[in-house]
Amino acid sequence: MAHAVISCLHANLAAFEAVLDDIDQQGITTVTCLGDLVGYGPQPNEVVELVRARAIPTCQGCWDEDIIDGLNSCECSYPSQLAERRGHQAHHWTASRLTGDNKAFLAELPFTLRKDKLLFVHGSPNSQHEYLLPDMNAFAALERVETAGAETLFCGHTHQPYVRELSGGSIRVSVQQKGGQPSDEQEMTLPMRRIVNAGSVGEPRHGNTKATYVIHDDRTAEVSIREVDYDVAKTCRAILEAGLPEVFAWRLSHGFEYAERAEDASHVCER
Amino acid sequence: MERWALLSGLCGDLDLYEQIQSDLKKKQGVAHLFVLGDMVSPDRDCNALLSRLRQPKRGDLQPNCIYGWWEEQLLAEYGYRGDQKPEFLEGDHDPATFANLRAAVSQEHLNWLASLQFGLVELDCGLIHGSSADVGDCLLEITSPLILLDRLTRLDVNRLFTARSGRQFRLQLTGGQIHSKVLDPAGEAAQEHTVPKRSVIGIGSGVNYTLYDPASDHIEFLSAIGGSGTSKLGFG
Repeated sequence: MAHAVISCLHANLAAFEAVLDDIDQQGITTVTCLGDLVGYGPQPNEVVELVRARAIPTCQGCWDEDIIDGLNSCECSYPSQLAERRGHQAHHWTASRLTGDNKAFLAELPFTLRKDKLLFVHGSPNSQHEYLLPDMNAFAALERVETAGAETLFCGHTHQPYVRELSGGSIRVSVQQKGGQPSDEQEMTLPMRRIVNAGSVGEPRHGNTKATYVIHDDRTAEVSIREVDYDVAKTCRAILEAGLPEVFAWRLSHGFEYAERAEDASHVCER
Repeated sequence: MERWALLSGLCGDLDLYEQIQSDLKKKQGVAHLFVLGDMVSPDRDCNALLSRLRQPKRGDLQPNCIYGWWEEQLLAEYGYRGDQKPEFLEGDHDPATFANLRAAVSQEHLNWLASLQFGLVELDCGLIHGSSADVGDCLLEITSPLILLDRLTRLDVNRLFTARSGRQFRLQLTGGQIHSKVLDPAGEAAQEHTVPKRSVIGIGSGVNYTLYDPASDHIEFLSAIGGSGTSKLGFG
């Protein structure tokens, strides 16, 4: 059965509605969300309420966590002090407008969702703040999936959609213990695993303005990346009217691969 | 090149530390001493050892210390780690353990312990009590090579010296590969990645310690002469 996986809605209602329409038009009734319902965008309550109304199983993203627990990542989250200031401004704006009910909903979201050998997380199984980028060291990427006991890992957070297949792997080792010589080589065969990044509905960073999500068919294991047009100008106007930083609207309207992402994306926030 | 001595798990035992210092004086070319944590433990008064580490005697190899699992527990209990609580309060430990640990370490040493680093990177080597993932991460020679490679990759080092398991071993990653295929809106790209030649070295604990020669990559696993045999694994 085909199911849709969405992520990083970022309080962009127009993009979220367009993606839901696209999912509905294909007759897909099962949707999983990988978090970051809020942050950057102008309609946090509307987006959270639509997720609740559609009863979409959702795991907690780093923005959802921070709105509840307070800013909890280290300075690694931002590439510059200006970006950090803008991020904090968006954080405080969002925290001041979210209703108590919606905050309570975000607070209760699980870190992970699991269906058989499919694992759904926001960043990585280690942390909501860790980026699994498509060019991450292949062995480290495989370790994230394998250690979590999954065959396919669905994640978001990077805002770049991709499907990565890791196969044909092996590692050879030799062990030396006290008083002994190195042992003969032993070979460990690595399993085939996949990472599927759903991209971003509300703040795409893959080079154009379209909202992205993925469709996975659990019978054929086929994954397709969907790109959906939406009324970008409408969301940009709402960002400006809300008094949020103009750069958020500029970024959306140009679809630049340009964002508040840590310079060292492999860094794992320790807080 | 000058050799390194690496030890851990002194657990407050000043006699053992003096024995190892004495042994090292008889070894040629040992110029650097790294103490990879667990200087303290709940089993004995640790203050004399801590004072000695902070103020070495003339002729001692100057110790370069980092914190270990027991120091982490102590600092967490005293509030040096924010909201983090000591792990062992949630485990199977005797409730008296922490009272003993508090009694074993005078508060005058807390700021010094809190100033110690999580790990050190020297040349292309990472020196850590547990691993690059966590101070409590216990790496063994039977740990999945995939996990060992991940811990090396996180630090981007060729050798990772670890103490947490208390075991002495060297596991070398000697080869291997993996095929990676990425599909994104721009198209499809495939790459073949090979396993870099890297090692994880368990340095031992207590009486068991390790010498390392960075120039030749030679490892020597040793035990303190006349050691008390009270060496403990790094597990708390």
